[in-house]
Amino acid sequence: MALLDIKNLSLYIDTGNESIKALDKVSLTLDEGEIRALVGESGSGKSLIVRSIIGALPSNWSIKADRINYKGQSLLGMSRSKRREVMRREIAVVFQEPTSALDPSVNIKEQIKESIPPELIDKKWFWQRSKQREQLAISLLHKVGIKNHQRYLDSYPHEIPTDVSQKIMIAMALASEPKILIADDSTRGMESTTKTQILRLLTKLNKTKKLAILFVSHDLLAITSMSHTMTVLYCGQTVESGKVKSLLKRPLHPYTKALLDSAPSFQVSLAPKSPLVALEGTIPTLQHLPTGCRLGPRCPNAKKDCVIAPVPRNIQEHYYSCHFPLHLPNVKKADREVHL
Amino acid sequence: MIKLSIRYINLIVLTVFVLLVFSFFLPYLFPGDLLTNITGITPETQQQREALEIAFKLDKSIFHQFVFYIENLFSGNWGVSTATQQSLKTEVALFFPATIELVVYALLFSILVGIPLGFIGGLRHHKGFDFPIVTFSIVGYSFPVFWIALIFITVFCLQLNWLPTSGRLDLLYDLPSVTGFVLIDIALSDIEDKSAAYKDAFRHLILPTLAVSVVTTALFARFVRRSIMDVMEKSYIIAAKSRGFSPWQIFLKHGFKNALIPILPILALQVSTLITNVMIVETIFSWPGIGKWLIEAIYQHDYPAIRIGMLAVSIVVMILTISTEFLTRAIDPTREKVEHATF
Repeated sequence: MALLDIKNLSLYIDTGNESIKALDKVSLTLDEGEIRALVGESGSGKSLIVRSIIGALPSNWSIKADRINYKGQSLLGMSRSKRREVMRREIAVVFQEPTSALDPSVNIKEQIKESIPPELIDKKWFWQRSKQREQLAISLLHKVGIKNHQRYLDSYPHEIPTDVSQKIMIAMALASEPKILIADDSTRGMESTTKTQILRLLTKLNKTKKLAILFVSHDLLAITSMSHTMTVLYCGQTVESGKVKSLLKRPLHPYTKALLDSAPSFQVSLAPKSPLVALEGTIPTLQHLPTGCRLGPRCPNAKKDCVIAPVPRNIQEHYYSCHFPLHLPNVKKADREVHL
Repeated sequence: MIKLSIRYINLIVLTVFVLLVFSFFLPYLFPGDLLTNITGITPETQQQREALEIAFKLDKSIFHQFVFYIENLFSGNWGVSTATQQSLKTEVALFFPATIELVVYALLFSILVGIPLGFIGGLRHHKGFDFPIVTFSIVGYSFPVFWIALIFITVFCLQLNWLPTSGRLDLLYDLPSVTGFVLIDIALSDIEDKSAAYKDAFRHLILPTLAVSVVTTALFARFVRRSIMDVMEKSYIIAAKSRGFSPWQIFLKHGFKNALIPILPILALQVSTLITNVMIVETIFSWPGIGKWLIEAIYQHDYPAIRIGMLAVSIVVMILTISTEFLTRAIDPTREKVEHATF
């Protein structure tokens, strides 16, 4: 059974005069010990999915879903305190821009100590407990590869470089010994060396602790090197998902293909001075979402049928939502049905 | 930290010096006889005038006069009032505590009522209890202080006859002024029925305190509400939520401090406005404070009193502003500790 199972999640943002469907029937699963990449351009709703899982939604957002299950329990149906308990012990989140995700007025030591759940502390008296928390905090910092912990324990977030803050965020996420780590674009805007360090750290955690990771990013290179499975998101719709290998080998959705083609390092036989392939236009804004398949206006294969949202299809655990996938002859849908 | 304290003390000393220079030149700029403006005494004969001129070093250079003025100030010899011929030092010592008392109570009221109201409104914004808070803060902020004081007197004193209109204490109680603070003085005095005296003092305090603090409370509530609303949308609050902390813990550990730190300097600025408002309200409620005393001095062209009163009030306001600024700088970890002192 999947650890985290999201089926047909839609998120509506109420702007006062209209309700925008920011996420349109997104489905996502995360198995135990799996690293799943969630890929999409900025504005495709990756962070919205993360916010929906956390449950920290502003009052003008509302979600509808067939299910958001954690280990078979519905996160949407459970009481607030039960849900907080799940968030505290089982699911941990590492945010983008670590410096702003740390409280600016509290020093690092206190913040890490706060994130250690009380169940892990077995000493009796409060001074012993405080001491134990501090030791746990130091060992957590060592775990994420911060060796000179004294340098950072008493510092405040604004005094710390971004990569170290991100490691501290990961340390705080690991404090509760979670089953799932959600990394919300954690390597955004980092230098390539520090990025590699963070990615290596996450891979190591996945191997040693069987930690399931939902890795949200738009950085294809980073993702393909570490993840097992991948879900591609475009404009709030899941476009394609499946094993990274099969997605890279044979993308079925025009958007996935365009995405892979736009990163030249994936094309082995790229002739010198050949033109770079990219989709026309830009990702639409939330106020001007096309109906049906949202890729429609930019899609090279778009036809009349695309104004109706495609139903997800499945070939050997490789899901895609497209009326005219790349492996089928590009003819009118009605004709094809006759053809089949 | 020590360096920071030294910088701020340095700033206080320099500002006091500037105020001293300014107040020194005031009598030279006032209309009328310079000698009377400085000494507060109107000489009757030419001989007396010459003697006074020599005594106050008016025959020497302006620099000598300044040094003489500073020496007198620090030795407690602040001159006499033209109107009452009383020593200004005893008059300021008599009237200033009454003002400070009112300021302290009004400030306490604003802090204890305004800040919690702001937090409630901000945390539950656009829901139930937030609407009356926003309404109160807009209405309260829009009232002119003198007008609301007059309305209070009309309603509560003249029509309902619940509370006294003026003064600090009923004339029945012959209270010797020891500290100048009426509640402390009652505790120190040997009045027989102390609880009745306390009750009377409270009844006198209620209206002036309320009249002054309505504006400040409304402002405090507004600032705090806005600030906590901003803070609760910050990503570290979302991160704290993602860790499954309870809303109460998130507010206490991450919301409260972060909401107050950025607005503390703005709140501190309101204190000087509060003192100004207290001086207005004193006049209306015949509260024997420095504001009423200064306004009377202005009416009577009592230049020595104006000079000393202005100096005393501005030094208190200045020290208050600088020390709150110092406090915010000291508790805010993101503020640089080594930069220059500012206010």
